[in-house]
Formats: sequence, C-alpha cells, structure tokens
Amino acid sequence: MRISAMSQMQRVGFSIELPSLVPLQLPSRMETHLWYILPDEVKSKSLLKHYSQLLSPTEKHRVLQMRGDELKKNALLARTLVRTTIARYQTNNASDDPRCLIFKKNAYGKPEVDNPPLHFNISHTDSLIACGVTVHVPVGIDVEDKERKIKHNVLAFAQRFYSPDEVNFLSTILDPEAQRTEFIKLWTLKEAYVKALGKGFSAAPFNTFTIKAKAHTKQGYDLCANSVEDTSKCNGDWKFALLELAGSHYAAVCTEYDQASGGAPLRVIVRKTIPFVEDELISQ
Amino acid sequence: MASLSTTSLSFKAPSIQSTRISQVLRKASSFQSISFGRFHSSKSLRLQISCAAKPETVQKVSDIVKEQLALSADTALTAESKFSALGADSLDTVEIVMALEEKFNISVEESDAQNITTIQEAADLIEDLVQKKPATSEAS
Repeated sequence: MRISAMSQMQRVGFSIELPSLVPLQLPSRMETHLWYILPDEVKSKSLLKHYSQLLSPTEKHRVLQMRGDELKKNALLARTLVRTTIARYQTNNASDDPRCLIFKKNAYGKPEVDNPPLHFNISHTDSLIACGVTVHVPVGIDVEDKERKIKHNVLAFAQRFYSPDEVNFLSTILDPEAQRTEFIKLWTLKEAYVKALGKGFSAAPFNTFTIKAKAHTKQGYDLCANSVEDTSKCNGDWKFALLELAGSHYAAVCTEYDQASGGAPLRVIVRKTIPFVEDELISQ
Repeated sequence: MASLSTTSLSFKAPSIQSTRISQVLRKASSFQSISFGRFHSSKSLRLQISCAAKPETVQKVSDIVKEQLALSADTALTAESKFSALGADSLDTVEIVMALEEKFNISVEESDAQNITTIQEAADLIEDLVQKKPATSEAS
C-alpha cells in the first residue's frame, strides 16, 4: 500500500506547505512498528531544508558537527525520522507538529519522550536509518549492512567480545562468508538487547549473555544465561526478531516481554518512509 | 547504535604544571563533586590522572581510525575529533579498539572500550595501559 502526496507538490514546487504526516494508531501490545529511510532516496535540497527546520537548536548543532556532507545529511535524516515518526502517533489532544516534541534522557542517557506515551529506539548505517516504536514495553533496534566487512578475523573478534556459546556456534560454521553473516546477525541481536535494556553497555557486556536461535522454529531467538551447566535455561523476559530490510540490511528488534500479550511472538510492522512525501507499508 | 552522553572536565592543577587531570563520568546523570587534593572513588566516577598523551600516540591512533573508517589520507583529524562525528558506529569503535590493542600490545576492558569517544581519550587510555604493563617495553 503506497500513500503518495507528491502530485500536488510537483505542480507547484515546494513553495507551499508540505502536507501533514498521516496519523496512525499506536502499536498494539507485542507489536513493534519499524520505520526506515534510505538516504539515497532523499535528494531534494528543499526537502532537506524543510527537515532541518524540524530540529531543535541542539540537534542542528550536532548535525553540523558531523564531518562531511553525507554524514551531515544522514544525521539530519536520523533526527527527522525520529521526530516525524513519533509525531504520527500523537493522540488527538496534542499537536502533531514534529517540532513540538520534547525529548529527555533516562538515567543512563537513553532518549525518551513523554508525549505520546511510547518507547522508541533508532539505529543507522550509511545507507539505512531505522526507528522502532512500541507501547508499554522498552524496545531496542539495530541495523547493519548485510555486506559489512569485518576487518579482523571473525572468530578472533567473537572470542574477544562474544559469549563462549556464541563462539562455539560460530566456529561450527566452516564457510567464511556464512560465518561472517552469522556474526553480523548476532551483533545486531546483541546490540538490540543492550539498547532495549537502556542502561548502557556496562550493564550488559556482550560476553555476559548468549543469544541463540530458537530450536524447532524458523525464526525467533532467545536470550540465554551464560552458564556452562545449563545453557538451556533461557530468559523469557525478552523477545527478539531478525528481519531483512530493503534486501540490503539486517534489522534486529528486541522488546521486553509483556504479560498481557500472552505467549504471542513479536510482530513487527515495517514501513519505508520519506517523511511528508511517501509512506510505504512493507508487507512481511 | 546507542549513544551515551559523557561529560568530561579538565582543569589545570596549579601545583602540577604539566599534568592534566580529567574526570570521566560513566553514567550520564550521576555527578559527585570532588575536592581538589583528595580524590574519592565511587561506582559512578572514574578518575584518571595522566599526562596528556604523546603526539606520536595521538598520530598512531589517528592512523588506525582513518583506516578503520576508510577516511581519505588527507582528512584532518585532531585529538578532539569524535569517533561519532567521523561516522563510526559501535562496531567500528570495537574494531578500532581491537586494532589499538594489537598495535600497542595492550588489553582494553570492554567497559573502557565502549566509553572511548575521541582520539584523545583513546590515546590517553593507551598510554595509561602501556605504563601499567609489568614488562616495560616500547610500544611498536
């Protein structure tokens, strides 16, 4: 389903106000909404200028600190994605103007927003920027380019930073390319967990927990304790999903288990966006 | 990629002319004041008293950062250059730390690795660890 608002603007150019964001209902329990932008699809200078007007002075300053035009553009798009995504979920009483959002940080520096009452997390690579949104439970996301090359030997890297079980798993993969792929997938899952926790990396060093694929199902991952005695003991408090976006990126989503949702697996609704221009629902 | 805000303070101690005392906070919000001349440590404070890193160390760190982030050779990096402003994500930062460990033959704790945000911080940490090594040997 594609909603395009470009036709009117194409006739008169950007001298008129850009249309409002299409408002959306909040995600339901155990549902994560995942929005992403492909920077290469955003080329219009006037559109980028419009985006820059949504940012706070601090955000603008940080964008300008980035070294080089491409990094500046991506930093701008990242803040734009966060503000416009959250603004879509404003309830009727509040303004849906992305400029009016007020962000704060939790005790560990994780960004939060009071109104609307949702959780969000952002991740970006050179070629894709993503923002995950949930209600009631914290969320963490991480995206990586599928083709990302690791400069170090993958197993040496894993031995240094991953858990013993994960190192064992990776060492059973003989094809170097497949091994690199699984390494990247694990990285995104582990990052997503730490970001969902929201307490910084010190609270959950990578070598203190194991993420492994669920047995007997095609997808889904479990967070497991690092105990040699009982690696089958997995922590049901956190849910994971691993997706492919745009055919080019892995995206890991981690949310806290919500009692009210029963045993339902994590459901992720993905949309690609160029804010104010086009939103596309990507069917899973 | 997560971003944590850290605050660092540096001030010149009048009686120690060439020493730079820097205070690094692990967590964004907790801050405890220290009185000069008497340092107390707590879970949320990490104090580092060190001479500012040698220019050669800063240069070696810059070279490794340029290589990891695939920056052009003529990119101007200073000690204050922030990894995030150069486009480094958390995976890049970890790879940079691994390269620094190999170059300087040191071992960086994971919590320290994640907290490095500038070239200066990396260089300071390296020199700190090199000094602490039991066998004194010149860094390569």
